[in-house]
Amino acid sequence: MSASTTTGSQRLRTFVVYAGMAVLLAVFLYPLWWMASSSFKPGSEIVTSPLSFDPRDFTLDHYRAMFASVPIWTGFLNTAIMLVLKGGITLVFCPLAGFAFAKYNFPGKNFLFGFILLTLMLPTLVLVIPLLLEMSLLNWVNTYQGLVLPGAIDAFSIFWMRQVIAGIPDELLEAGRLDGCSALGLYRRIVLPVIRPGLAALAVLTFLNIYNDFLWPVIVVNDASKQTLQVVLSNLSLSIASAQVDSSPATVWGQLLAATTVASIPVVIIFVLLQRHFVRGILAGSTK
Amino acid sequence: MSMTQLAPGRPGPAAKVVRGAPPGRPLRRRFPLAPYLMILPFFLSFIAFGAYPLLFALRLSFTNWKGSGELRWIGLGNYTYLLTSSEFWASLANSGIMWLLIVPVQTIGAVAIAAALSQAGLRGRGFFRTTLIVPFVTPLIAMAQVWILLFDADFGAVNAALEAVGLPSIGWLTTTAWSKPTIALLVLWKTTGFAIVIMLAAIQGISDDVYEAADIDGAGVWHKFWSITVPLMRRAIAFYVVIATLGISQMFAEPYVMTKGGPYNSTITSGLFLYNHIGSSDLGLGAANSFLLVLLVFLLSLVSVRLLRSKED
Repeated sequence: MSASTTTGSQRLRTFVVYAGMAVLLAVFLYPLWWMASSSFKPGSEIVTSPLSFDPRDFTLDHYRAMFASVPIWTGFLNTAIMLVLKGGITLVFCPLAGFAFAKYNFPGKNFLFGFILLTLMLPTLVLVIPLLLEMSLLNWVNTYQGLVLPGAIDAFSIFWMRQVIAGIPDELLEAGRLDGCSALGLYRRIVLPVIRPGLAALAVLTFLNIYNDFLWPVIVVNDASKQTLQVVLSNLSLSIASAQVDSSPATVWGQLLAATTVASIPVVIIFVLLQRHFVRGILAGSTK
Repeated sequence: MSMTQLAPGRPGPAAKVVRGAPPGRPLRRRFPLAPYLMILPFFLSFIAFGAYPLLFALRLSFTNWKGSGELRWIGLGNYTYLLTSSEFWASLANSGIMWLLIVPVQTIGAVAIAAALSQAGLRGRGFFRTTLIVPFVTPLIAMAQVWILLFDADFGAVNAALEAVGLPSIGWLTTTAWSKPTIALLVLWKTTGFAIVIMLAAIQGISDDVYEAADIDGAGVWHKFWSITVPLMRRAIAFYVVIATLGISQMFAEPYVMTKGGPYNSTITSGLFLYNHIGSSDLGLGAANSFLLVLLVFLLSLVSVRLLRSKED
């Protein structure tokens, strides 16, 4: 920015910023460190000395017990099914609708697009009760279609993809059209390759949303075999306590921490690997 | 496809129209059906899972339906019941207090941290940004469970740390005074990094020229922060306040997992209050509650948008 000479006060300011950031990052990372490290501590130590970590006492006991008492693989499996089905629907249909709004003129376009934006204002919470009744009417409670279909084609993704596709030069599409491409051909051969970074960002954000979704899964599913990972996690203490006679914190906490570690660390690792897409995806909502 | 095949029927003019079409609207009238087909899935899905339940809920909100049996019309009964029920207002008040505990400190903090990180010559900005956003990507339910243990009154790490420095331990989730702040701390921990990233992007959008002009005028760091950075970030700040407000008005999972609304109903947020109608099968009442909440969210958004507009003038 400015090429002024580094003065003493400037150096001090930089130091203060680094010190402040160090404290902030420590606060931000400590809960995750505590969760992961405590999950490898002997049960009694988690409660008697919650602040210390001695690598010599490293144990996998909690993980063994947790995989036996918590249906976490069922949760992972159902979340994976949801990611594939719901994520697939989002990634196929939302960019296509965005393409129509970005590159076509048709009667009613502005009205329909405005309508889509309006539905953004509709909180999920409001639809939950009637939607649950609709699901029971369709016999879709405790089914994958009930879990996946509502909200799979979401307004925000369409809005976002419209912005991304609007950035493609019209000349490019024009050229494809002169070559005799159909609408879908134009989309597949010209639009898709160009918007690949935007699609990657959409995929990452969709993954995060589906992985962490809780409100709808906890409402539409009560059958244990269809519970998603987050629903399984919300019942942790119950499933751990019912699997053993002794339900003192010393035995329950270790398993609880093992389960939350198994559920959280993969997302954190995926995030760090894909962080560029992630940040772009998250920012897309803010830079309208 | 069909249109391109039709084109040879009148080759001359069609080709001319294509060549002569202004660049701004190249695809006009070429595929009149295609765009409708592309947007059709959203509208089908909206009719099935948006409009239909919404209308159903509207009808339901005028009945005292409990999940089975006949729908009995009770007019505005549910609405008047809610508006005169102290529990309904208490749930709104709980959400309001959550808002006060979270949004002001988070927004001001995020702007200040983003401004500090944007200073010239600071290294490691990318690393800071990545690390700050890590809590945002962790699953909320998992972290809510960890929070219960961290803030456990008897065995939690936070009380252990307090005792280690000679402070009394606190009943974080077991006293009405601390239950809301403890949940607010989780929200702050989880979403502040996101707020900082938004503010960082907004600051980077401010032209360097503005700051250089201020440098020439001899403006100090604080002066530049208050008279350049903050005013030029109003849009981003307003955007963040709107989404944070919408999020808090629907807060449900945090108290659902951590306190189930207790102790003494101190953490029954408007979202959890609404959810509890399902548990007690008061579906008509729940539907009416939904609409009151939508109205409130709508008014809050309207006020925020208003504030955003007046600031832009």
